[in-house]
Amino acid sequence: MKKYVSVLLLLTCILLFGRESRSGRAIPDLKIKLLNGKQTSIHDLLKDGPLLIDFWATWCKPCKKVMKHLDRYHQAYGNHGFKVLMINQDTPRSLGKVKSYIRSQKHTFYVGLDPNQETAKKLNGQIMPTLILVDRDGTIQWRHQGYVPGEEVEIERQIRIALGLDMQSDSPDS
Amino acid sequence: MIRIILYFAFTSLVWADGIDYNAAITVNYGDSYDFYSYTENRFDLNLFYNNVQAWVQYEYSNPPEIGFPINDIRKFRIEYKPLDFTIKLGDIYEFWGRGLVLNQFDDQITNFDNGTRGLFLGYSKGPFTINHINGNTDIWQLGNDLRIPYYKHAHNMYANQVQYELNSLSLGFTQLHSKETHQKIFGEAFVNHKLNGIYASWTGANADLFLEYADKKATEKTNIIENIPHDTLKNGYGIYSNLNIYLGNWGLSTEYKRYAFDRGYSDFTVDDYGNQINFQTMPTLVREQNSTLMGRVTHQYNYNDERGVQFALNGTLPNGYYLLAQYSQLSRNEEWQSVTSINWNGTSVDGYLPSSDPSAIPYWENYQEMNGYHFDDKLYFKLGRGENYEVLGLMRYFEGEGESITENWMYTDSIEWDNGWFYTDSVLGSIDTSNYSIEAKLWQESRSITFPFELSYTFDNGYSVGLNFEYQERKIRNVTRGNATTFNYSDSTWLLVNPENPDTSFIVYDTQFSDGDKQYNTQFNRMISLTLSKASNWSVTLSHDQTNAFEGQRSIDPYYNPLEALVYGDIKYFTGKRDKSNPPGFIQKRWVSVKIDYSLTPSQRISVQYGSIQGGLFCSNGICRIIPPFNDGLNISYTAVF
Repeated sequence: MKKYVSVLLLLTCILLFGRESRSGRAIPDLKIKLLNGKQTSIHDLLKDGPLLIDFWATWCKPCKKVMKHLDRYHQAYGNHGFKVLMINQDTPRSLGKVKSYIRSQKHTFYVGLDPNQETAKKLNGQIMPTLILVDRDGTIQWRHQGYVPGEEVEIERQIRIALGLDMQSDSPDS
Repeated sequence: MIRIILYFAFTSLVWADGIDYNAAITVNYGDSYDFYSYTENRFDLNLFYNNVQAWVQYEYSNPPEIGFPINDIRKFRIEYKPLDFTIKLGDIYEFWGRGLVLNQFDDQITNFDNGTRGLFLGYSKGPFTINHINGNTDIWQLGNDLRIPYYKHAHNMYANQVQYELNSLSLGFTQLHSKETHQKIFGEAFVNHKLNGIYASWTGANADLFLEYADKKATEKTNIIENIPHDTLKNGYGIYSNLNIYLGNWGLSTEYKRYAFDRGYSDFTVDDYGNQINFQTMPTLVREQNSTLMGRVTHQYNYNDERGVQFALNGTLPNGYYLLAQYSQLSRNEEWQSVTSINWNGTSVDGYLPSSDPSAIPYWENYQEMNGYHFDDKLYFKLGRGENYEVLGLMRYFEGEGESITENWMYTDSIEWDNGWFYTDSVLGSIDTSNYSIEAKLWQESRSITFPFELSYTFDNGYSVGLNFEYQERKIRNVTRGNATTFNYSDSTWLLVNPENPDTSFIVYDTQFSDGDKQYNTQFNRMISLTLSKASNWSVTLSHDQTNAFEGQRSIDPYYNPLEALVYGDIKYFTGKRDKSNPPGFIQKRWVSVKIDYSLTPSQRISVQYGSIQGGLFCSNGICRIIPPFNDGLNISYTAVF
């Protein structure tokens, strides 16, 4: 009986909360330790414009594939105040290789460190990759789990919506 | 009851004004024909109100994939951050330095959880940070059962950290004390652990450096009734360093470790306590693989007694190809000699580097990878090559001098009787001795080489196809080497196989792979998966895993799934004419499964997998466990964040 109660509870939660991906909730102002040793916070990164947060690790294959596109968007829409924050979840086992990997790929986005998943748990980003798009006033506009090739088109569309840009112009992929 | 009130108090706050929240649901269900079934349901809720944060995790799992059944609040934490202070109450997870003293995490895949339920106090102002943790931690380990933990190690602990950061420099001191009730195979032990650590880091434009040292002392309460003072049980230390050098878009990462919290020639068991404790989860210096076949042959590292180095060079060529070359070598801190068949002596390995002698139980691996994009980034390819060698265990390992003795007797007295002379006395005239070399060695080693390959192409309409192929050759064999195999306790020496000719030496390789009565020197593994996906909607993956031999004997499994029958064209399966007592040979060494992922919304995913999965070693977060095979079953997984 307990089993069915739990299943019903979960289904209720899905119906209540799971329908909308555009949550409209505010993102908490969490402190982030960056790869260069400096400290920042999510609200600091939001000062100039929207922020796309993604969770990744050096051993995560789809994470590395989407990073290439996210870095391109970080550069292409940087003049609109848009930023990408990649929160790394490598454990001590592979933490020493994170900076080397980022440098080798010439990535320019912000990289945060979260080796014991404290930030990931607060933002429910344990599944990698998980993308959270936050608009300038700190409201979560869009969430997305996983990545398969081709989804970068939808990611860019959401970024442009957050920036209030015309869908046809100035696309770095066009 | 208190937990239920707490749970509803948390959830009701969702509707309160001014409170932000996020939540996640994870549902995992699995059922296979060989009774490997599980139901896991977790609900995570985070609440944020000004400088107060709260987290609660409710779980209904009966049974979980690994662990104990639960229908309760599993985790909770309340955080309050006034000004420069941080106060946390509940389940605490902290990570200091690189984890030589404290690295806490909750890894539900391997059921490893070393978090502390208690109080955290922190103060951070300018360059100074001071943290304190106080509470209780129950850490569970598996016994013989691969799914239900058996051994409990209960820690009553406190820990402190002081850190100072100035520009690119950082210096930290850590301390951890724990009173542990350690469950053994029979009974339990009461152990006090004291750890002190120091770490420093420097970050520059073209290089960065990290150093950490931890010192550990354990004492055991030998008689709790008579309150006899604690006896020193074990002393140890650990060193870790990481130097990264960058030149343009190339980076060289170098790591060195020397963990000497205990010493031993064999695997450590639950009865080896007082050494490294599970708060210490440190860098391992082996590559964290994302290839299935390479993950199965990964090194089962030893946090108590291991030293090693790792180098990783990566960079990008002008055409955009990414290159990676990695090498690591590890060994125990001692080279071991079996002076008898059961007594072992250890001699420290010279210098600072690991030894490659089998007596030090060495391991090495290297991995190379190239990947890149073509055709406007539509085509992605990856080529890899990984090789490793490991001594899995020593059964005997002696190399030294032996001595043979010949006595020359002279007869000094005799009598005549019945027309014959009989000698009645003699003296030892001389003793001839000759020395010879003894070599009595038996160890088990494993060697593998793996080639992972990946190819994917993305079409303009959002569809993409992917191919993953992995090929592996693997050997596991017992190596018998030398001129002696058994130890004679009455003579206190190793017995020569051929006493007439001590120089007769042999080397025998005994493979551990077989299929029925037939033995194989090499195990060949192939894994192929095909994926078709539509961006932002769905993906379908068909996987085929194949081997030719097993380590040890396997019983015949008469069941196989219709997917396997379909792939191999076994029409009898569908016409009801299959022979359940004598199944076709192909099913024994092949595992076929199909997985469908579907995005209900961007933040809701459901995944359904049907088929068979080969079990084996699985490692995550530095923790490894053996996963049992999942035969002809169904896995359903649902995740949602909102």
